[in-house]
Amino acid sequence: MDQPLVLNTFMLLTLATLLTPIILPLLSNNLKNTTTTITNTVKTSFLISLIPMAIHIHSGTESLISLWEWKFIMNFKIPISLKMDFYSLTFFPIALFVSWSILQFASWYMASDPYITKFFTYLLFFLIAMLILIISNNLFLLFIGWEGVGIMSFLLISWWQGRAEANTAALQAVLYNRAGDVGLILCMAWLASTMNTWEIHQIQLPNQTPTLPLLGLILAAAAKSAQFGLHPWLPAAMEGPTPVSALLHSSTMVVAGIFLLIRTHPLFNNNPTALSLCLCLGAISTLFAAMCALTQNDIKKIIAFSTSSQLGLMMVTIGLNLPQLAFLHISTHAFFKAMLFLCSGSIIHSLNGEQDIRKMGGLQKMLPTTTSCLTIGNLALMGMPFLAGFYSKDQIIESLNTSYLNTWALTLTLLATSFTAIYTLRMTLTVQTGFPRIPPLAPVNENNPAILAPITRLALGSITAGFLITSYILPTKTPPTTMPLSIKITAIVVTALGMALAMELSKMTQILIMPKQTPMSNFSSALGYFNPLIHRFSTTSLLGGGQKIASHLVDLSWYKLMGPEGLASLQLMATKAATSLHTGLIKAYLGAFALSILIMIVSTY
Amino acid sequence: MSLMHLSFYSAFTLSSLGLAFHRTHLISALLCLEGMMLSMYVALAMWPIQTQASSFTILPILMLTFSACEASTGLSLLVASTRTHGSDHLHNFNLLQC
Repeated sequence: MDQPLVLNTFMLLTLATLLTPIILPLLSNNLKNTTTTITNTVKTSFLISLIPMAIHIHSGTESLISLWEWKFIMNFKIPISLKMDFYSLTFFPIALFVSWSILQFASWYMASDPYITKFFTYLLFFLIAMLILIISNNLFLLFIGWEGVGIMSFLLISWWQGRAEANTAALQAVLYNRAGDVGLILCMAWLASTMNTWEIHQIQLPNQTPTLPLLGLILAAAAKSAQFGLHPWLPAAMEGPTPVSALLHSSTMVVAGIFLLIRTHPLFNNNPTALSLCLCLGAISTLFAAMCALTQNDIKKIIAFSTSSQLGLMMVTIGLNLPQLAFLHISTHAFFKAMLFLCSGSIIHSLNGEQDIRKMGGLQKMLPTTTSCLTIGNLALMGMPFLAGFYSKDQIIESLNTSYLNTWALTLTLLATSFTAIYTLRMTLTVQTGFPRIPPLAPVNENNPAILAPITRLALGSITAGFLITSYILPTKTPPTTMPLSIKITAIVVTALGMALAMELSKMTQILIMPKQTPMSNFSSALGYFNPLIHRFSTTSLLGGGQKIASHLVDLSWYKLMGPEGLASLQLMATKAATSLHTGLIKAYLGAFALSILIMIVSTY
Repeated sequence: MSLMHLSFYSAFTLSSLGLAFHRTHLISALLCLEGMMLSMYVALAMWPIQTQASSFTILPILMLTFSACEASTGLSLLVASTRTHGSDHLHNFNLLQC
């Protein structure tokens, strides 16, 4: 069997299968899309994409194909090249599996929506853009996928357009992503001028890379993956429907930034400044998000902040120079985070739109499957040994503890790990246990295969994915093999400490504890006062400065006042002063002029 | 001097005398000014052709640019005086002098 040929064929077949629901309705009037056709398309693509992954696991086949070349200018060609290496071959089945489950769930969740087929088509467009981003070898093609996921995120967050908060959230997402695009374009421009290529396998420097393009890449990743400073769009993006939150803002789109850093990792290898920047930025993001999640009362916002915190952890891993471990965390995180969102969607619909955890309780007896899978997801998130999250998260914490790095970053990350345990346990206990605090006539019903099948599938993935991936993949960098016992069990101890602290919160479900307002709790529930500060001050100062420079300084001052009008007023002053000094008899003046010219000519002759 | 030199010397002199000895309208002065500019243009254009110095060929164009500015200034003065005095007669110009 010619392995590269089979690999390439099946990967291209996967992409072609995903394109059929877009192309076929254009060809004939009878071939309209329905939700089942799109779901089955994604399922077929998933099954087809398992074959290239199996070939790669079996024999380590990788391939790089170049489809068409855009001869831009004479020396600079932009080939449409696709790279099928470990990262893209493993991420395709995972992304397609998660998308298939989410689409199946969405056929129940959005069943009452009149434009459900358009919703599914938008999700399909998003998926295609994301897969283009993953498989691309050229930064230009990656940028196309990057912008594609940004646009689809905008369209999907503002799905319920009549809601003002949804429109604001969508605009926020687009603006913050735009700030990151500037960084990506900076890096592309630097690469084009220095290395004359945008191909990822060609951008390697033997000695230290200058920090400027790496800063651009870090900015792009910080915006797309909601690191601290460019993070407010991710909690606000929960305005979109739950399938959108599950697909975009937990498993696929937000990992695009981290994926970019993984792809361009050879550039980062020998620049310790950029690596330290990633480390500290990731540590601050993970702690800040975990701190904000502690006092949230909306179930979707808690899961959104936990996504943000895990993205910070992935950035920390990049800062440790361990891209493969970051990718492992991306893969395992996709499973349990998507499942958490789907469980929350099932709970929300069962309680007729209630999203506040203070008004949920005792759901374990009413929604057994959903709440069991919620518990599995939360345990995987916390890093319970031998579930999916453990294989990636524990390795990250071990590598953190055994490397030579900034102690502050280490402390923040460990603190964030314990906070993760606290807020997940708080969410689990408040939602599931104790007495029900829901209104009596809630349409609690989960007996629909459209809900149960995706959630149980993803639960199976959350349990086994970590084990399966680490069994079949060889690490590229040697993991730390021996360490003292205290360091080995740091992650478990920190998580257990967090759980012990959080058990106090379990009393909240039985006894009414009046919430106290302390400065720390206010800081946490106001999301660190970041949103009102930055969204007011920075925009007014930027727009005001822009008006001063463009309109007042250039237009009014330089072009008008110091130019023509100033000149005119100066002349007017001089004229008014001189007008009383002469008689103004023009005829006499001109006659004298002619006479004197005549005399001059005659005298020189 | 050649016939060409005679023609633009005489054109220039006649126009300047016309500029000096008009009596009634401002616009006749402006027309004579344009005539002066025209004769200067022809002279400046013939000079680099006769001396075969191609660097100076741009000079007539430069002069034409400035003459356009000057003609527009003159016309705006004409319009301004017509608006205030009703006509462009020259004896209006020192009418309001104290």
